[in-house]
Amino acid sequence: MKKFLSLVLALAMALTMFSTFAMADETIKLRVWVGDNQDMAWINGVIDNFKAANPDKTYEIEVGIQSEGDCSKVVLNDPEAAADVFTFADDQFNSLYNAGALQQVVEGADEIIAANGGATAGAVVAATGDDGALYAYPATADNGYFMFYNTEYFTAEDVLTLDGMLAKAESVGKYVGFPMSNAWYFYSFFKGAGLDMHVSEDGVTNVCNWNATEGVTYTGVQVLEALLAITSHKGFKEADSDPFVAGIKDGSLVAGVSGTWNANAAADAWGEKYAATKLPTFTVNGEQVQMASFAGFKLVGVNPYSENVGDAMDFAAFMTNEASQISRFELRGQGPSNINAAASEAVQAAPAIAALAAQAAYSDVQRVGGKYWDPAAALGKILVNGNPDNTPLQELLDNCVTGITAPADQ
Amino acid sequence: MRMSKHITAGAGNKPARKGILGAIGGFFAAIIEFFTGTYKAFRDGDIWVKLSAIICGASCFARKQYVKGFLLCLVQAVIIWLFPGFLWPYMSKFPTLGTVQAKKAYNPETRKNEWNDYDNSFMILLFSVVGFVLLATAIVLWMRNIRAAREVEVLQKKGKHVNSFKEDIADCFSVKFHRTLLSLPVLGVVVFTIVPLIVMILIAFTNYDRNHLVPAKLFTWTGLKNFDTLVNMTSDSSFAYAFRNVLIWTLVWAVVATITCYIFGIMMAMFINNRNTKGKKFWRVCFMVAMAVPQFVSLLLVRNFFADAGIVNTICKNIGLTDWLYSIKAIPTANYIPFLTHPAWARPMIILINIWVGVPYQMLIATGILMNIPTELLEAARIDGANARQSFMHITMPYILFITGPSLVNSLVANINNFNVIWLLSRDVYTTSDQLMANANANEVDLLVTWLYRLTQDQSNYKMASVIGILVFIVCAILTLLAFSNMIKGDKEESFQ
Repeated sequence: MKKFLSLVLALAMALTMFSTFAMADETIKLRVWVGDNQDMAWINGVIDNFKAANPDKTYEIEVGIQSEGDCSKVVLNDPEAAADVFTFADDQFNSLYNAGALQQVVEGADEIIAANGGATAGAVVAATGDDGALYAYPATADNGYFMFYNTEYFTAEDVLTLDGMLAKAESVGKYVGFPMSNAWYFYSFFKGAGLDMHVSEDGVTNVCNWNATEGVTYTGVQVLEALLAITSHKGFKEADSDPFVAGIKDGSLVAGVSGTWNANAAADAWGEKYAATKLPTFTVNGEQVQMASFAGFKLVGVNPYSENVGDAMDFAAFMTNEASQISRFELRGQGPSNINAAASEAVQAAPAIAALAAQAAYSDVQRVGGKYWDPAAALGKILVNGNPDNTPLQELLDNCVTGITAPADQ
Repeated sequence: MRMSKHITAGAGNKPARKGILGAIGGFFAAIIEFFTGTYKAFRDGDIWVKLSAIICGASCFARKQYVKGFLLCLVQAVIIWLFPGFLWPYMSKFPTLGTVQAKKAYNPETRKNEWNDYDNSFMILLFSVVGFVLLATAIVLWMRNIRAAREVEVLQKKGKHVNSFKEDIADCFSVKFHRTLLSLPVLGVVVFTIVPLIVMILIAFTNYDRNHLVPAKLFTWTGLKNFDTLVNMTSDSSFAYAFRNVLIWTLVWAVVATITCYIFGIMMAMFINNRNTKGKKFWRVCFMVAMAVPQFVSLLLVRNFFADAGIVNTICKNIGLTDWLYSIKAIPTANYIPFLTHPAWARPMIILINIWVGVPYQMLIATGILMNIPTELLEAARIDGANARQSFMHITMPYILFITGPSLVNSLVANINNFNVIWLLSRDVYTTSDQLMANANANEVDLLVTWLYRLTQDQSNYKMASVIGILVFIVCAILTLLAFSNMIKGDKEESFQ
């Protein structure tokens, strides 16, 4: 009897082992990276919905946190070890695409393009590779920058021109903030004045005509003169993210350029008086010129080295569909790229998102090679310091363009 | 003093070689001896010794050392098996670092990507180095095996005792215990330090950068091109300019940071150790607290204090200091003092902050030394009529210098590589206004290591980072060698007095 029992037990054990083995085979394991700890509630909801929508499959989805701002650094360090699905800001699309770290959207690309506003919509352009195919899933369309202001000091009329804003701020002993030595924002003046800078066809080096002296509406020197007038203005203050928040909290900043990530801080500090709008115009060579900007999107990428590329694509598509984007807006306040989601009343009512929509006409999708950032930031820094060495402006531009357009093998 | 030096030198059994050249000569002589010795062992040995050259451990069987013979055969088999199956595919591609670019195709049936059998340049480099190190190790083992076979043969012919396996094992824990103890650390150093080091050095001779990121793309050998980029300025590359400036600042920083911390640390220790100081333990604890808090916490806090919109700037603005500094043109804007954002301010600030972070550690070391100064020396000096200043200058200070000399070199090298302080204080807040520096992704407060970090992490420029890494290593090695060969000669024990 005992022998029989032990035999049965051993058999049962072998069976359970076998069955777990068989089950493990069917379980689809995915690793997903989201940008922030605060995304957890949202992504867990998405995962539950995804599992419910695919009852015939068993998923084991592991969520990790990887800042969207430098996701590409981590992915490029070892693409084979990166997550199956990851979220990144669209400025990194180019480097990820060039390093072959993005899986082409091979299933349902047309639906995704249509849902995000067609092939010419910014969010779709931002996710499209040189070969015209879609390589990422648009997730949000709120990653650009715009003008925050305090209605106590400015009317809707005042915020149309930067000159007007600076003068008004100075008259009350306050400041308008702008991150002049941050290359991402610095771009807006040159682009606004009609000068160009973007990645070249090789996908790595840049094309830049900031130092052009002829054949352009305004020369780079004229733009620099305009910028020096701004940075030396008593109502101007250099203010990147942290100083911006500090400034609106202590009341010294009454307006400033930043993005949706600081919308809550501005709303908390200014309350009812919080308002946002497109970027103003600035004066170049005596004429008013509209500031341009980089449009910003968050994209979801699928790792081509993933074991389960098909399922990873399913999840990426689900994570960026209309329902997920709406819940993302509700839980995280992030503006949808999906046109149906973006059309909802709640989204339209958010001042920051309305401001971005107003700026959209003057914004470009960011296509920039890695050599742009440091040289442009240095030029901005020199302007903030008021060009203390009195270097000829053309020389400043030439140096900057040399750095931005440096050959790929440097 | 002279006397004692000769005695020390005479005490050794071998005539001491002088200087680095002698050491290098000795090293090569030993290598040549190893090869010729092996050849002689092979020539003079009997048939079993000769057979050992083909099958390791063959002679062991003839001398009835069966276990040892079996183990040697096993090692040989494993190594021979490793090469063709695993390492050779990589090593054969070492000259080109791979030629097959990755290609994939999505299979809609299986919903998976199908990849070609692509080359991964980095893996080729890594496993080739592993292969070469293993090959070198195998050759040394093989030669030792021949020599050992001959030694045992000689022992047997002389009718002396030949160790059994048990006795060999026992030896490992008695006469050869030092080898047993050292084997694990040596293995660790080879696997975790030497192999990665060789790989890193080799990357300096490739074009591994943003355009050649593995696994999607291949990189290959480019010779000395990267070193040329670092040394020669061209119209579209300012690496040479940035390198010169960063190197100068690195050395200035290392010297100033080391000396200030050293002097202030000793002064603090002296003050606290003074007979008239009350509450010694309390003061010591006070300074220890600064050390007990993790550096990255305290440094990030300090960075926020001194930020352009930080609390120190608010205070300076309120008391009018900012406006006064602006009026004498010491700062470029009237809004804030650029404590950590302008090179003329940031460099001294970083050194000052480093003093605050580094002094407690130095103080602790100096305290320990001060407590250990032989009191009879100080008493004798006092009886001889020396005043406090004299006994400090002639007894305390020489004693401290003598004890801390090596650690001073150590902290100089540590400061050359002091990543924490510079990185935590300048990250995200420091933007250079030097365009040539910016074009090479460097800034004025960068040390070579922080620049290297930025190049790898932000720019994926592994080739240049590797070149810089090699140069940092050379700088540190030269400094350490010079300092140690002058300071620690083994005969300083007497010379102190």
